[in-house]
Amino acid sequence: MTGTAAVMHRPSTVGEAVRLLAQAGDARLLAGGTDLVPALRAGTSRTRVIVALRRVVELRARGVGADTLTVGAGVTYAELADWTAAPGLAATARAVGSAQVRNAGTVGGALGSANPRGDLLTFLTAAGADVLTCSAGGDRRGTPLDAFVADPPARRRGELVTAVRLPRPAGPQVFLKIGGRQAAYPTLVSCALVVDEAAGQVRCAVGGVAPVPLRAAAAEGFAAAEIDWAAPGRDPAVRAAVARRFGTLVATAARGAPTQLPAGPRDPAAYRWHAAGVLAERALARCLAAGGSR
Amino acid sequence: MTMLGTDEDADGGPIVGPYHLHVDGRLHAVTDAWLGDSLLTVLRDRLGVTSVKDGCEQGRCGSCSVLLDGRLVASCVTLAADAADARVTTLAGLPVDGPAPAVQAAFLCHGAVQCGFCTPGFVVAVTDLLTRHPAAGEDEVREALAGNICRCTGYGRIVAAVRAVQADLAAQADLAAQADLAVQADLAVQADLAAPTGEAAQP
Repeated sequence: MTGTAAVMHRPSTVGEAVRLLAQAGDARLLAGGTDLVPALRAGTSRTRVIVALRRVVELRARGVGADTLTVGAGVTYAELADWTAAPGLAATARAVGSAQVRNAGTVGGALGSANPRGDLLTFLTAAGADVLTCSAGGDRRGTPLDAFVADPPARRRGELVTAVRLPRPAGPQVFLKIGGRQAAYPTLVSCALVVDEAAGQVRCAVGGVAPVPLRAAAAEGFAAAEIDWAAPGRDPAVRAAVARRFGTLVATAARGAPTQLPAGPRDPAAYRWHAAGVLAERALARCLAAGGSR
Repeated sequence: MTMLGTDEDADGGPIVGPYHLHVDGRLHAVTDAWLGDSLLTVLRDRLGVTSVKDGCEQGRCGSCSVLLDGRLVASCVTLAADAADARVTTLAGLPVDGPAPAVQAAFLCHGAVQCGFCTPGFVVAVTDLLTRHPAAGEDEVREALAGNICRCTGYGRIVAAVRAVQADLAAQADLAAQADLAVQADLAVQADLAAPTGEAAQP
């Protein structure tokens, strides 16, 4: 079988990579290959030029700053899975695909593909991450993730995702998903909760319902008003009621999303809304059980 | 691009034509592949490595598992040209002094092979697991092998085979440790005998 790809560049620096991107125009970036290689085979990606990023050492760094974590675009899920500084990110990375996929797939690939069901995208939305990019001429900037994924890929042409930056964990973080066999099938619905105990804030994102991960503002407002994270209360019945109400509000937000992902034969919209509520309820219950411990 | 045997693919320059792949310790020229070909396609159709099975071509079934610079990956979602400066290890290239031979024997002995299509991928994945994490618990074994699909065995026999290899390896390690202790004890006795005793040893 043959296709259009005719040249593969192998830069070793970010500067070289963005220069090649600018020159080629329609170049496709290659990281772990888990999305691009099947697309090349199927002919859905018809690029002439591939820019392979595996040798760009700068993209492989990850670091802990005073208030933030920075994760290079070339960091794999397997490398995130045991990162103790980022338990929520690590748990999300462990929930992705199989060992084979986690060894290959990268943070940058998850953002570049921006699959609406992508587990990492859901977690990073809840975490309030910024996407750091570089374009030709060395222009570096940070964009909030929701703005980044809302931007059509054509507008981002020539830009290379170099890293994501997210706040350091400040409370419980939970990621839950539902779908077929994890190793073999994409997630159907996912839910990420990121708690900032000091700020009394719960950020909630749902994946697999709308074209981009959905924030549930009403549910977040309810949690902020109801829960004192310094003393979340020991009464299990009260906690369960709070979690149930939170789940109901998330299900309502899912139903109310203005644009819905197309429903498949095995995932009618009503099922996805319900699943979002159930996952959110369980996730908040787990946060409440873990909260107030610091 | 015809300097066969040199390492021109490793210099980081662009690849536009033929390239080389380092597979199981040998350097192969890849001359008639499309640049967008997966590592699976090149291994099977160009280099004749048929132990790497073509199951789903989506990175889902694990039957094409190989090691790329020692990391377990699905070769169907790896771009072959991007592996030109890496070391590819298939079933045949797994080190004979590692766990692979014991894994293969245990698969046969425990009925973990039925149609056999998934077996090469499983042996690569199990060998990778036992090399990195020989004492993995049963849940970790199942988790590590979740990316390899078997439609015959129901996995029970495969897990049993892995557990048996682990038990053997642990017993061997125990024996080796005991032998080591015995040798050390012997040496200590000999050293004692050889050492000058009593006040004569004091300066």
